[in-house]
Amino acid sequence: MPYRLLKFALKKEHDEPRFFRALETPKKSYDAVIIGGGGHGLAAAYYLAKDHGITNVAVLERGYIGGGNTGRNTTIVRSNYLTPEGVNFYDASVKIYEGLSEELDLNLFYSTRGHFTLAHTESAMRTMRWRAEVNKHVGVESYVVGPDEIAKACPQLDLSCSGKAPILGALFHAPGSVARHDAVAWGYARGADRLGVEIFQNTEVTGIDVQGGKVAGVQTSRGYIATNRVLSAVAGFTPRVCKMVDVKTPIVIHPLQACVTEPMKPWLDTILVSGSLHVYVSQSSRGELVMGSSLDPYEVHSTRSSLDFVEGLTSHMLDMFPFLSNIKVVRQWAGMADMTPDFAPIMGKTPVDGFYLDAGWGTWGFKATPISGKTMAETIARDKAPELIHSFRLSRFEDYELTGEKGAASVGH
Amino acid sequence: MKLINCPINGVRPVSEFVFGGELREMPDPDQCSDADWATYVHHRNGAPGLKKEWWYHAPSGTWFIAERNTMTEEIVRTYLFGQEEEK
Amino acid sequence: MSMRLPRSTGEWINRDKVIKFSFEGKDYTAFEGDTVSSALWAAGERALGRSFKYHRPRGVLSFANHDVNVMLTDGLDTNIRGDVVTIRDGQKFVAVNTDGGVRNDKNKYIDSISPLLPVGFYYKAFHTPRRMFPFWENIIRKAAGLGIVNFNFPRVTKRKLNRHCDLLVIGAGPAGLSAALVAAEAGLDVVVVDENQYAGGSLSYDRAGSGELATKLADLLSMVNRTPNIKLYTGAYAAGYYTDHLVPIVRADGITKVRAKSVIVASGAFEQPPVFRNNDLPGVMLGSAAQRMIHRYSTKPFDKGLVVTANDHGYRVALDLIEAGVKVLAVVDLRASGQNADLMSNVVRKGIAVHTGQCVYEAVPTEGKFGVKEAVVCPFDEATATVDTSKAVTIPCDGIAMSAGWAPAAALLYQAGTAMRYDYTVQQFVPAKLPAGVFAAGKVNGVFDLAQRVHDGARAANDVLRYLGKPAADVVVSEHAGAAPSHPYPVVPHPKAKNFVDFDEDLQLKDFINGAKEGFDNIELMKRFTTVGMGPSQGKHSNMNAIRILARIRGLPVEKIGTTTARPFFHPTPIGHLAGRGLHPHRLTPMHAWHEEAGAEFVEVGPWMRAAYYKKPGLSKAEIVQEEALAVRHAAGIIDGGSLGKFELQGPDASEFLNRFYTGIFSSQKIGETRYALMLDEAGVVVDDGVVSRLGLESFYVTVSTSNAAAVYREMQRCLQTWKLNVGLTNVTGAVGLINVAGPKARQIVAKTTSLDISDKAFPFGEIRETEVAGVPARIIRVGFVSDLAFEIHMAAGYARHVWDALLAAGKDEGLRPFGTDAQRLLRLEMGNHLVGHDTDGLTNPFEIGAEWAIKMAKGFFVGQRSLKIIAKRPLKKRLVPFVLDESYKGQMPQECNLVIEDGQIKGRTTSVSYSKSAGRVIGFAYVDPNQASPGSRFNIRTDSGVMVKATVVKAPFVSLQQGA
Repeated sequence: MPYRLLKFALKKEHDEPRFFRALETPKKSYDAVIIGGGGHGLAAAYYLAKDHGITNVAVLERGYIGGGNTGRNTTIVRSNYLTPEGVNFYDASVKIYEGLSEELDLNLFYSTRGHFTLAHTESAMRTMRWRAEVNKHVGVESYVVGPDEIAKACPQLDLSCSGKAPILGALFHAPGSVARHDAVAWGYARGADRLGVEIFQNTEVTGIDVQGGKVAGVQTSRGYIATNRVLSAVAGFTPRVCKMVDVKTPIVIHPLQACVTEPMKPWLDTILVSGSLHVYVSQSSRGELVMGSSLDPYEVHSTRSSLDFVEGLTSHMLDMFPFLSNIKVVRQWAGMADMTPDFAPIMGKTPVDGFYLDAGWGTWGFKATPISGKTMAETIARDKAPELIHSFRLSRFEDYELTGEKGAASVGH
Repeated sequence: MKLINCPINGVRPVSEFVFGGELREMPDPDQCSDADWATYVHHRNGAPGLKKEWWYHAPSGTWFIAERNTMTEEIVRTYLFGQEEEK
Repeated sequence: MSMRLPRSTGEWINRDKVIKFSFEGKDYTAFEGDTVSSALWAAGERALGRSFKYHRPRGVLSFANHDVNVMLTDGLDTNIRGDVVTIRDGQKFVAVNTDGGVRNDKNKYIDSISPLLPVGFYYKAFHTPRRMFPFWENIIRKAAGLGIVNFNFPRVTKRKLNRHCDLLVIGAGPAGLSAALVAAEAGLDVVVVDENQYAGGSLSYDRAGSGELATKLADLLSMVNRTPNIKLYTGAYAAGYYTDHLVPIVRADGITKVRAKSVIVASGAFEQPPVFRNNDLPGVMLGSAAQRMIHRYSTKPFDKGLVVTANDHGYRVALDLIEAGVKVLAVVDLRASGQNADLMSNVVRKGIAVHTGQCVYEAVPTEGKFGVKEAVVCPFDEATATVDTSKAVTIPCDGIAMSAGWAPAAALLYQAGTAMRYDYTVQQFVPAKLPAGVFAAGKVNGVFDLAQRVHDGARAANDVLRYLGKPAADVVVSEHAGAAPSHPYPVVPHPKAKNFVDFDEDLQLKDFINGAKEGFDNIELMKRFTTVGMGPSQGKHSNMNAIRILARIRGLPVEKIGTTTARPFFHPTPIGHLAGRGLHPHRLTPMHAWHEEAGAEFVEVGPWMRAAYYKKPGLSKAEIVQEEALAVRHAAGIIDGGSLGKFELQGPDASEFLNRFYTGIFSSQKIGETRYALMLDEAGVVVDDGVVSRLGLESFYVTVSTSNAAAVYREMQRCLQTWKLNVGLTNVTGAVGLINVAGPKARQIVAKTTSLDISDKAFPFGEIRETEVAGVPARIIRVGFVSDLAFEIHMAAGYARHVWDALLAAGKDEGLRPFGTDAQRLLRLEMGNHLVGHDTDGLTNPFEIGAEWAIKMAKGFFVGQRSLKIIAKRPLKKRLVPFVLDESYKGQMPQECNLVIEDGQIKGRTTSVSYSKSAGRVIGFAYVDPNQASPGSRFNIRTDSGVMVKATVVKAPFVSLQQGA
């Protein structure tokens, strides 16, 4: 037993300090205001304070911290993207994640389990090779494997997928991990709070004051706050916040659903994704199978669930794992995914001076939490986006320089 | 599952429909600037609200317009393109 | 020692049928209808499982699937709910999540080291040093989880049904049945569902020692059964509420998706355990559980025990216990005052002591914590929730029934979007604003008095009638009178804790206090940090107490705390039920049976099944593909192209429409001529390509790729509307069959089947003719996708097999051979034809694939034109080129999607790569730097193993043409 646990037993009182202060009244002004107390906003606050010494920062959260997509995703962390800029960016995130539990002194259950993207068609195999080659090129451990290697890692998988979609191979991505998503938000919140950042829950931003093309402050449910720098890190609420400053984006909100089974003893050690069957699944440290599927096909600003989602997902789960027929789904839920047309985020400066955007996180935001926090903190501190996120700038749409991630998503039949 | 009232086929479940995006006015390609065109092509009115949208009833091949609240999913009315006034 | 009571009317067991089963290796008998828990309890067993975290022995708590104390496996299935699952003869059960069985679980030590494991302990340890985490994680993962999955469990495919009705009533208790009867009388088509094996709700167990209610229930049910427009499903739970009144009803044999015009939720309430030390011991159970045991399964909950209560219900429980022969030692009432005088005097008259203003401070366990030895009772101050232990008395007993309050079974109401409010008269959340078409009645609506629940059902039914535009009456439901059915804070502190709030997750009072101390003092954060309500019973027995505790910690009224979001499913629902039969439909061409007989290996292309190649014994796939391709080069091949998208366009604006839809010009196209058609999206990205044939002045025939056909057709339809053009568009994809005969002998073969003069002079390349083939009307197009000598024959799908057979007969002596999509892919590559979606991706513009020739910028508007003008101003980033490897190359074969590397930079990738026997070398397409795109340029391809291979840009095609020979 680790010593830290003995410490709990030896103490009479549970004297663990608060993760972050319970604050009610914001100051009149801050050096920077971050809208959104999810993983991204809290990470940005943390790195603003830690890397750049900017501690006079307020994080404004409409609900409770980590209550948006941070707490709704299926917790997969990976960097096996298609474009070199994408792979480099997510790889930087993976590297921070690997040491983050220690840095934040909070066990995030960051668990490197390996990640298989299953290919059921020749064209999927081609895309896997494309990704593997790009990954290798930039030094990320991904390679194409055959059915035998998949069977070795997951002997329970029906490689024929009930005869409906035989698996030809997979992209194996060694650094693929899962983590305890809520804890990431809590850890960053605690880290930021201890460095002086002020976090306000139940605080809604109702307007952004722009004067002469520059940010002057924000109106909130707790009054006006003067500031010259505002970061919007609000995922599904991005269009609403951007509307406040009249910044146009391609973002459209689609619900992304997920569900979880009852706990069972561990058997699925890897993370499995099947593009053809629209399934991704891993087994949590609690023993639940955490499962997701594709986006809902139309715009809705709500986190409602749908039956057809879970019917489709479970049907495909049984194609892969027929023996799960009597395992029960406990709960389904949804997040609001802020989708971009090229499946890459929108990060950096905007036409409004002092209004920074960290958005377009669609279905891939959790894995980028640390690096988005770090790069957005730098963007805010220097009023200039670092090279690492240049490809993700908002102006790429005007420039017809969409990122190549769209390539993979739309290749093939 | 959401129900949608196709103006031709009546109320059917959403699984029979394809979402076609918001009904948008195309700027005059000969008159507009490159930047305006790029905005038209890439950017969207993503904020929630009552929107006029294209929907397609796939089994019958029927395009129509639905006025839908994208926050509540409530569909206020549906009609064939260009036949809004007749409703 | 049998706890089974004498036969009683309305019991849920069939005493005429005895069945055998075993539990933890020991044999038992049960009656048909017994659940595992009822049979074991009747047999005198108490410890039926071990808890999730601390491995404490557990017995019956709710006896209603509101907890998972009894989770079993029968060797085949796992996580079986012992409380509610009836036994099949011969089943052998063991509890899940023990190491060595319930009695001797080796993990029971965890209970004694629980101080080491405070709330959220796993966040605070095991992560330093980093390298040790996998070790600890492995231990934690093994400790977590419940049952073991049986990898041999067969795939179950359950049927799904759809059912429409005017009114769906969820819950067949007094409120629900009353609502159904009133609605049915007004002519509505009513469906009633109840999760229990039998209808009746609380009438089937909450009897307060009197037989009168059993009669009342029987009367009610006989009325329901006599009403033809009520369909009652029992053993059927409403799993969730989805948009527009879609409610999946789950039964053992599958899911029925009910689409109702209106819904009445009459789902009752979950009884909530008061919180005191060792309230989880086997023998300590909810009052309603004791009543269910008595009246449904004729089983005595315990021999002598007490009732701890904080509402009227506890007194009703006491009366039921007395009636069942239990020696009730005392009723301990947390409340100092406010007792129902009638009920209290009824109890007192039976000689039972009532201790008001007292609580059970703790239940004292027997050896091994397998049961209760005695209860410690002491004064309780309601306002402060504190105890006076100096006045504690110890009462020896073997059981405690607990009735301190309820939580509404409001999950479906929440899912439907109901706003709830906290009603202090009943100390419960009740609906404040219901969504249109959704109604609530009975306990879930805060109505507890039996007569009023019946009224409330009638009231809700009338609300439904009004909602549906039918005449309706006003039914008045009396306000709740008397004491609240729920106690505002039935929580007893204890320095040694083990006063459980969430039994699934082994959460004690202090876990909430400590969680709040650390800042998790918002109900959602508290849920996530403590995991309250996240277990398999989803907070049914724990969420309300958690809210009360948090409110007390924060000094806020309960309604300020709010509730966590309720999500599907109401009960965990099997994957097999949800998945159903997993239908996976395909479209088949008219020649499908022929392909099957010919040994085709099929591939899915869009919705279609197409022949990829035709298997031949002793030959590998690659060898077959080369053979099939060679046949086309040297003799002739025949391929079924029926899946291609095919559209007819007719009308005065047809050519104008095509001009706008595709990049080329069609207004100048001659009748009988075909033209290449390239489709872009508004961003100028290549989306699809195909062939446009002009059949008449106002008549065109368009073919598009198989996988894009539906989307292209859809977009054509939409453009027709927005452009307001006078064109008739018909999708004839499925109605028209397509056969392509290609190769040097194609003309000879096709000529035998048609009267048309198909000489090169009469029917040159790139033209279309309307004629007959094999005696049936057909169109023939001379296209050059796989060979420049090819005849694409289009005819009604019903004739396609006939024509196919005729062509095969005609080609029998000419070496005609069928080929599949794999050879087709190689053949088109040899011809230098790119394949949209294979050689292009979601961002490719036409300049990158060298398709400038297909784009007529000077014509009027076409889709993508404006974007191309912008793209044309920007430097070209890559270019698709045909390439070959040196004939002498013998190294590792490059694969499609290997990278093109120059100076350590990624410049592009290969998109098509194949060995071509006809070309005598490896050929392909690759994206390269535009500077390296001219024929003769050399570039590097990096193979899978990292070897750089030199490739040379060439001019396509890779094979010599027939030149109309």
